Amino acid sequence: MNAIPNTFRSDMNLGTEPVLRTKDLTVKFDGFAAVNNVNLTVSRGELRVIIGANGAGKSTLLDLLCGKTLPTEGEVWLRDRNITGIGEAAIARSGVGRKFQTPSVFKEMTVLENLQVASNRRTGVFANLFSWRPPRPTEVEAEVASRTGLSGVLNRRASELSHGQLQWLELAMVLSQDPQIVLLDEPAAGMTAAETDKTAQLLLDLAGSHTVLVIEHDMAFVKRICRKITVMHQGAILAEGTASEIERNQAVVEAYLGSATLSHA
Amino acid sequence: MKERTITFAAYLLFFAVVFALPLALNSFWTNRIAVYLVYAICAVGISLSWGYAGILSLGQGLFFGIGAYMIAMSLTLAVPDNNPVPQFMLLNMEPNALRDLCCVTPGSFLWEPFRYLSIGILAGIVVPCVIAAALGYVMFKRRTSGVYVSIITLALALIGQMLIINNQPLTGGFNGLADLAPLSVGGVEFDPYGKSVYYLVAAVLLIVVLLSRLVVSTRLGHVLKAVREDDSRVRYLGYNVESYKLFIYCLSAAVAGVAGLLFAVTSEFASPSLMSTSFSISMVIWAALGGRGSLLGACVGALIVNFIGSVASENAALQPVWPIVLGLMFVLVVLVMPEGIAGIAKSWVAKPRQPRSLKEVTQ
Repeated sequence: MNAIPNTFRSDMNLGTEPVLRTKDLTVKFDGFAAVNNVNLTVSRGELRVIIGANGAGKSTLLDLLCGKTLPTEGEVWLRDRNITGIGEAAIARSGVGRKFQTPSVFKEMTVLENLQVASNRRTGVFANLFSWRPPRPTEVEAEVASRTGLSGVLNRRASELSHGQLQWLELAMVLSQDPQIVLLDEPAAGMTAAETDKTAQLLLDLAGSHTVLVIEHDMAFVKRICRKITVMHQGAILAEGTASEIERNQAVVEAYLGSATLSHA
Repeated sequence: MKERTITFAAYLLFFAVVFALPLALNSFWTNRIAVYLVYAICAVGISLSWGYAGILSLGQGLFFGIGAYMIAMSLTLAVPDNNPVPQFMLLNMEPNALRDLCCVTPGSFLWEPFRYLSIGILAGIVVPCVIAAALGYVMFKRRTSGVYVSIITLALALIGQMLIINNQPLTGGFNGLADLAPLSVGGVEFDPYGKSVYYLVAAVLLIVVLLSRLVVSTRLGHVLKAVREDDSRVRYLGYNVESYKLFIYCLSAAVAGVAGLLFAVTSEFASPSLMSTSFSISMVIWAALGGRGSLLGACVGALIVNFIGSVASENAALQPVWPIVLGLMFVLVVLVMPEGIAGIAKSWVAKPRQPRSLKEVTQ
């Protein structure tokens, strides 16, 4: 069905050093627990996918991780640092990079300018008041651009890019932040089949060198990119395991009974 | 590269015209155009906060007015008749109060430091900055944005206006301060109707434009551009968006303060009407018509609108219609040409760029 080799990476390559941990993470909106008691650990170099039906709490979980939403209870730890409630900007600086579901890039700016805003690690007002924007990409910027296939369009305005390119641009921006963990919300949403293939390949390339947490509901895409899946259901973690384990898991099958998500896989 | 050359040429042309104009003007028009150049400085302030960071302040008049009042206080005290106390204070004093600035009217001691012109000038820049910092800190910390910022700043300008009107013994109230000495620095006297004030204003405009241009072309200006487009996205890239907004808002307040200083010098008065809602909104209209995203455009907007307005006000038939025309022009600009005059100029200059190859399209 696709040309991408689903190379098997042994668990030995996946470090066991936890990069991101949540402790009893819970958020309640008017008493309704959108995310309920989630204990999630993502290890270094891992490519983890979270799946679940609409409303299962996947995106809310990402919002909690990047500080967009404050948890009602529980904590988020990045390595040995508690990043709960320190604010979005501080969380981003400490090493959490997030890509949103709809491409959120600065459309009036060129691709290179977008990357430059993202890759700049000196974020203070006065540090930036007394520094100029270099006309050429830095090594990091050039590297992420070539990784995402944007090298040829660096001087184009982002508004001139295709939807797929916008998604890659945002991914490139997140990567140029040099984050400890990359959070991706449906990175292949709205892409053509060819673009989806390219994205899958990109994510496989990233695994190992980067720690990546992906939210996805396209099961075919999920099976191509990952070894370990976390299933969310009604705000809680229902199961964790490889794709085949998840498909055989009775609880998961029951939770998804009648849902197209797994049956199309 | 080519676009940069054209931009540079445009700036050069503008300032060449500005500096050459007095050669062809009588003293009345020299003074009028000097006032319009003051307004152009104001428009640059609006362009900085609104055009470059998306913060639409409808209360720039507050900062402008404060700038004007601060130097007007010094210039009031510089009139020999106003020593030791300004005339209006004598009209408002208690019958047996001491005729000294310390206690002639309640609060008159606040005038004491303004005996020094340098303090008047400094205060005209620092006070707007401090007020903007305090207000901005509260607003941006709470993530107030968009129309709410406009409403809050508008309300604050109204409060400022009320405070001035209602404290006549201290401020001259509704009449403002109109009995001013000409500005005199280091033995050089600046005549409001002569070329000296004109060139003073023109030089300050040039400096303000160049400095603003410098600021927006740094990395900071770059981050601000991103903030204008999507401030929450910038936050997830690790920037404290609030600090950036605060910085540019204070800068635009300082620029408005500088304009206020020069206004008092050029027009020889400061009055509460400078803090009126309609005046603050006028400033926004100048910037919008000229092109808020362009510093030069904002300058040109201020000059054109005020020049036409002045011509219209001398014509009995046009005078009542002009505010309506101006309002309609603003609506038109907002709806049809959000980049203003500068946007039109740019689209004339820039040819649509063709993709270099088919590969670039399909990539």
